Amino acid sequence: MNKLRINLITLIIILSATSFAGNFKLPPYEKVKLDNGLTVYLMEQHEVPLIYVSALIPCGAIYDGNKNGLTFLTSESLLFGTKNFTKKQIEETFEFYGASISTSAGAEFIKVNASFAIHDQEKLLPIFQDIILHPTFPEDEVQKRRQRLLVELDQAKESPRQVIRAYFNKFLFTDNEFGNPVQGSKGTVAEISSDDLKNYYSSYFNPKNSSIAIVGDFNISEMRGKISDLFNSWNMENRTPTNPILIPSLDFNKKRVLLVNKNDSQETTFLIGGKGISRNNTDFTEIQVINTILGDRFTSWLNEELRINSGLTYGVRSVFVPYKNIGTFFISTFTGSENTEKAIDLALQVLNRLHTTGITDKVLLSAKSYIKGQFPPNYETSGALVNLLTDMDYYGFDDTYINNFEKKIDEMTIAKANEIAKKYFPGDNLQFVIIGKASEIKDVVKKYGEITEKEITADGF
Amino acid sequence: MRLILIFTLMLSSLLAQSKANDVKTFTLKNGMQIILLEDHSIPNVAMYLFYKVGSRNEYPGITGISHFFEHMMFNGAKKYGPKQFDITMEANGGANNAYTSNDITVYSNWFPRSAMELIFDLEADRIAHLNFDDKMIESERGVILSERSTMLENSNESYLMQEVFAAAFQAHPYGWPVIGWESDIKNWTKNDLQNYFKTYYSPNNCVVVLTGDLTLDEVKKLSKKYFEPIPWRSAPRKVHTVEPEQLGERRLFVKKEVSTPHVLAVYHVPEASSTDYYSLRLLNSILSSGNTSRLYSSLVDEKQLATEVWTHYGESFDPYVFMIYSICNENVTPSQIEDVVYEELDKIANEGINENELQKVKNQKLIEFYHVMETINGKANQIGTYQLFFGDYKKLFDAPGEYQEVTAEDIKNVVKKYFNKLNRTVGILRAEGETK
Repeated sequence: MNKLRINLITLIIILSATSFAGNFKLPPYEKVKLDNGLTVYLMEQHEVPLIYVSALIPCGAIYDGNKNGLTFLTSESLLFGTKNFTKKQIEETFEFYGASISTSAGAEFIKVNASFAIHDQEKLLPIFQDIILHPTFPEDEVQKRRQRLLVELDQAKESPRQVIRAYFNKFLFTDNEFGNPVQGSKGTVAEISSDDLKNYYSSYFNPKNSSIAIVGDFNISEMRGKISDLFNSWNMENRTPTNPILIPSLDFNKKRVLLVNKNDSQETTFLIGGKGISRNNTDFTEIQVINTILGDRFTSWLNEELRINSGLTYGVRSVFVPYKNIGTFFISTFTGSENTEKAIDLALQVLNRLHTTGITDKVLLSAKSYIKGQFPPNYETSGALVNLLTDMDYYGFDDTYINNFEKKIDEMTIAKANEIAKKYFPGDNLQFVIIGKASEIKDVVKKYGEITEKEITADGF
Repeated sequence: MRLILIFTLMLSSLLAQSKANDVKTFTLKNGMQIILLEDHSIPNVAMYLFYKVGSRNEYPGITGISHFFEHMMFNGAKKYGPKQFDITMEANGGANNAYTSNDITVYSNWFPRSAMELIFDLEADRIAHLNFDDKMIESERGVILSERSTMLENSNESYLMQEVFAAAFQAHPYGWPVIGWESDIKNWTKNDLQNYFKTYYSPNNCVVVLTGDLTLDEVKKLSKKYFEPIPWRSAPRKVHTVEPEQLGERRLFVKKEVSTPHVLAVYHVPEASSTDYYSLRLLNSILSSGNTSRLYSSLVDEKQLATEVWTHYGESFDPYVFMIYSICNENVTPSQIEDVVYEELDKIANEGINENELQKVKNQKLIEFYHVMETINGKANQIGTYQLFFGDYKKLFDAPGEYQEVTAEDIKNVVKKYFNKLNRTVGILRAEGETK
């Protein structure tokens, strides 16, 4: 039966196993497209008797409309019951076998991930399938989750670190869909019904642009048959997102500050940033090298100045958040309220070094060595590999990202390094989001740009 | 019957993939023990150094110094001066981190195999010749104060735990937080650090674990060259304080701006080497691992009294506590949560658990074991943890079998034995404090 099924499948590529000493390569895998358009990735990994599976459905919070939190609540509610299994059955079966199943939602997609021992695949894969193909969104369970989410939204604001990125996104993207807070806000979540979830599901869950990756201790040809049997019946014609999302400009013409007052704050938590890069940027690897120098390792310029030399903070990082066609960048840290000005000034000075003093041969060499040395452990587990494969599918990058990683880094010149530093790291018209005790820090932070103030207790971001 | 069969099958395939015999060990003349496991799946190595020192070795006035010391280990020695440890390691493709607990301090290095000799050199330099630069001490003091402040700023859990532990332990050093009290952080001296180094950072108080792309021969050669010349020092004095039996419930309140109250109940329980360890670990899963666990399904799902519940029981050298933590749902009082928690515990004490439930948590433990064995990092950390807390790394490989041996009766017995009101400390964190 499985062998017949293969006729229904278009075989796209089969990569052969080649492993070069000293150069980390992606293990061999197979990519197939089912008749309904679903892309399936299969990769064997035999180190432990486990199987990992990840499904990516390309609908995220940018499709929430004015019901912020809709994608998130939909993703959570996928596990609340299906045509063939109740919530209780799903939980009891997965948990009995020590297996895991979880969903996650972001701006652009939902992921459903599971992992289990090889012996349990016959029982668990059909449930995994039903969760994606036939969720029922039962009213009582959705209501319970929504009520808890409303309380969690207040609880999250007790920790500046938990909410500062939601404020930053909203501040950068203003009314554009990319500014939607993924978990929503109290006002919007209260309005979401079980019917909203059903409508959202039937509008956006489409095999055509979705992908499933499965990695682990199995035989590819057997698993190919199983997966195609399970997912061939997923058919939803003409269900594509109706409102194309406009990609906003992140070229700011002035400096702006959002000051969020939290009365009981002892410290100031802040992000400074602006426009970043999209995931398929052809300089993605080289940008990582420069970001390593700026703020993505212990001896980075930012950590050296703000932590090692001055003791102003326990930690500071610089981060690119890439989406498919756009991205953001920020420096992230915190410090005692009394040190707010010192820490922000120092962070700005360090960022400016990228644009003025620039990068030296010595630091470039060190960063190249560091990033190459730390690369293989990122893809050591099957769990990491399923996510890599579905990410590759969504963002549209390919194995050369892994297989040519070292080569690209080795070939990076000092001229290229400085060109990248100037081109991709924001320098002017920076955007600041600062959470802290406004009465103590307002006079300090207003010098950084046009100020907007909010209370952390106010609904939303 | 079928369940047992599945378990046996899983166990045999596990044994085919990773055996205690694959782990090699030897001890240097200075008493330093080296343990290693070859794994050539990626061209990298994980090296963990476990020192038998943590906040339990401190005393009032220097609380938190173990953790401060952990930071100072990166701030300069003889061959590699201030900043050079990290600069050199990162320039050669390596990264590092460290953690301090009540019991131990652990340093970890992750690096491409090409950097192996250099890492031995860096570690040997700081173990043999750590230096304390005055300027580095002061900036690091600021870092620690920021670490403490950001923990309390962002984690209500840390806040409440700090208060509850101080009440639950009146004699034993587990009563103070690993990070230390603020006034101690501000007042440690260079002299305190030097004494601490001499007392605890001797090679014979350290176990080194290496996993990854390496061979026994090269590890032997490098260990002899770099670690063996470091002189042995006499063993530190033992921690002799025993927490007296608790003979009455202790209750406390903490006032903090939270939207709904938090409740933490802790019970004194024995250390990792106790015969009750595996039963207590399974009880921990029965109570809070997954949505079908007793406390989650009751408190969060069915009764909707809590937005979150977790329990914890981990490894320790001395008798520790079992924690049960909940966050109230809207308009729920802490006493409503407490009633359900105690009811659920009484239910286990009176009626026990069913076989299906027991098999579930045993299966979960086995899969957890696989996840640990997936990475060179997980293997190194667990091998060292078992060596220190259970006296033998081989017990890591016995753990799935040990869990399998636990009976429903054992679980019932540990609940009866430890989870009684007299042995309990309860803390409540809420915006109104104690008045309401």
